[in-house]
Amino acid sequence: MLARVANNLYWMGRYIERSEHIARFLNVNYFSSLDAPNARSQDRQFVLRSMLFMVGEPVGEDVVLEEDEVLYKIGLDADFIFSIRNNVKQARENANSARDLISTELYEAINKFYHFVLNYDREAFLKNGLHDFTVNVAEMTSVLRGKIRGTLLHDSLYAIILMGVNIERATQIIRIINTKYQDAMNAQGSYGDKFGNSFEWTTLLKCAESYDMMRRFYKKTPISITTLEFLILNPNCPRSIMNSLNQVYRHIKVLDPSKAYNKNSTAFLVGKVRAEYQYKYIEEIEQDVQLFIEQILNSLSEISKKMESEFFNY
Amino acid sequence: MFSSYQLNHDLYDEIFEDHGKIKEVYKKLFDIYGEHSIRDYVNLNEKAKSSFFNQGITFQVYDKEKTHEKIFPFDLFPRIIDPKEWKIIEKGSVQRSKALNLFLWDIYHDKNIIKQGIIPMELISSSANYLDQMNGIDPAGGIYNHISGTDIIKHNDGKYYVLEDNIRCPSGVSYVICNRTALKRALFGVFNHYKACSVTNYAENLLDLLETVKPNGVDIPNVVVITPGMYNSAFYEHSYLAKTMGVELVEGRDLFVENDFVYMKTIRGPEKVDIIYRRVDDAYLDPLEFNPNSTLGVPGLFAAYKKGNVTLANAPGTGVADDKAVYTYMPEIIKYYLGEEPILNNVHTYHCSRPNELKYVLDHIQDLVIKPVDEAGGYGISIGNRLGKDEISLVKKQLQANPRKYVAQPIMSLSVHPTYIDKSESFEQRHVDLRTFTVLGKDKEFVLKGGLTRVALQKGNLIVNSSQGGGSKDTWVLKK
Repeated sequence: MLARVANNLYWMGRYIERSEHIARFLNVNYFSSLDAPNARSQDRQFVLRSMLFMVGEPVGEDVVLEEDEVLYKIGLDADFIFSIRNNVKQARENANSARDLISTELYEAINKFYHFVLNYDREAFLKNGLHDFTVNVAEMTSVLRGKIRGTLLHDSLYAIILMGVNIERATQIIRIINTKYQDAMNAQGSYGDKFGNSFEWTTLLKCAESYDMMRRFYKKTPISITTLEFLILNPNCPRSIMNSLNQVYRHIKVLDPSKAYNKNSTAFLVGKVRAEYQYKYIEEIEQDVQLFIEQILNSLSEISKKMESEFFNY
Repeated sequence: MFSSYQLNHDLYDEIFEDHGKIKEVYKKLFDIYGEHSIRDYVNLNEKAKSSFFNQGITFQVYDKEKTHEKIFPFDLFPRIIDPKEWKIIEKGSVQRSKALNLFLWDIYHDKNIIKQGIIPMELISSSANYLDQMNGIDPAGGIYNHISGTDIIKHNDGKYYVLEDNIRCPSGVSYVICNRTALKRALFGVFNHYKACSVTNYAENLLDLLETVKPNGVDIPNVVVITPGMYNSAFYEHSYLAKTMGVELVEGRDLFVENDFVYMKTIRGPEKVDIIYRRVDDAYLDPLEFNPNSTLGVPGLFAAYKKGNVTLANAPGTGVADDKAVYTYMPEIIKYYLGEEPILNNVHTYHCSRPNELKYVLDHIQDLVIKPVDEAGGYGISIGNRLGKDEISLVKKQLQANPRKYVAQPIMSLSVHPTYIDKSESFEQRHVDLRTFTVLGKDKEFVLKGGLTRVALQKGNLIVNSSQGGGSKDTWVLKK
């Protein structure tokens, strides 16, 4: 496979995954805030600020936000590079350049997705389309993952796409944890809704589509430590950081099956990062969540850079 | 559905005979279509359009601010060619391709055809597409024009004429296949009544024939398709061909040349490339040899080609032979190299470079089509009976200023075919042509049984090119 095309497919995977997380974040936060337990977490400004923080455009406490503007910006704005629209556009551009390698079924699904997002009417979106739009985006990304798994050869091309998907998934889950962690801190103070058992943990789990399974696993209302443990360390939770690292490890071994000791390889780095979290207590992480977030984001970006120089160098 | 169909008896209609009777081969189809109401048809037409759109079979149109994606208009009423007529078209296409190939070999080697005075030296020496660099090079298997697209029309005398040979990078074959897919999706029932030859075998035959012209010393050749990139209007076709042949689709920047061998940059390092089906024009192939500003090409590619280490299909420099001035000598070229009479007719052509013919052209502009010899895509064509007084004098001035640049032909009346017209929601007569696709390999050839029927969607328009608002039809060659 051409190095350039491999790079494009890697990013196709990343953009598909990214658009899903942004869409779900928008949906869950907006709708759960409507009947949130306290005045602070019900506040529009609070929710909008949280959304902007998540997509990497944080604004200060003193800025007054317009709901329509923020929703449009994150959903459909052609001029905002992190908007869902632009993510989908990038996914399709990358798919386009590798059209000969991916299946017709996958390409058609991406193309349909692109036209759906591109043609979504601004007025309809702002008036009553937020739910419809975000749910559809999330569903279409599911379809795409199904097509990736179900119609492509499970070879190095597949491994590269799934490396992209999983690195992006881990990154987005961290960003979501980071955002909701901030929200839980900020929403403290009103009647009994302390940080540890904040309503925001439930929202966080829903953002990661992991609420029901978390309840099944712990059989208790989510609190900070169980939520973090589930989303970071539980390898059986398909959205956890641990699970993503395991997947990345599995796929890098397809690209680089050598067993020789080579500390400069991507596979070595992935193994190292994975081993670190495989044997960690959540209590260690909980002592300094901010530090953990910085470190893991750093490691993920190191892995991505390493991949670039090892496989995508053209 | 055809109640409002207006039959103009001056035109040759592909499905109706002179007195309005339907031709035998179209009868069943006509009955089946007749069972649908025009409403059904409007719906099917919309469905077919969205099928193309979702498949991403589109081209980009640029206007002031935005780029738009458009589909190449597709008509749901297929064209049928009966086996007897097809046999002539197929044989004729192969004959022309072979003759052109021998002609290319000759003019890049001994130039016997010129020495014997059959065609004039100026024809070659004044051609912008003649590449001196190709002199004396022996392409693998002796093949220059591996892929040829032959544009054929039916005149109102009911005979087929070739309007043009395309042997640089002829495009359109992917539409042949997409049109079939779209028609099957929309009106699958009709295929129970007709046995049309399959068109999906193009890619495997192309790969098969390309592999016959592998460089010496290569066992299993590594084939790639090179494209100018995803913003090229034919990118869909490039990716389609690479996908169906199961080979890599590369851009110039994916390749490099070392010690006169060509390599592509893969995730596991360099991999040697042996055969390149190139969809990049001559001028952009290699900045060291041709246009130095090209970023689409591969520095050193031509040197590797010259050494015989890589095959280029089509060979560089083929453009000299699909020149519209060379076209006029096709009957002589066929006779000279093959010792055969041309199977397909050539349209009589006046060379403006010859003073007496130029005079005739200037006196009869109203009855002629004036064409620049070296333009593609239907650009620069003037149709005499459509010109106003001022335009005629402008054309005359251009002809006198640069006679070598132009040829003239009688206005051919392309046959017409019932075509669904969106605006009026009815069937109307529209002019059609046919592009066949011929592949030459070493001692082997293949003609796609079908071809691209292009249709001029503007009423009365004779130019069918997609760049001029043309659409296309599925084309059935019936099995015997």
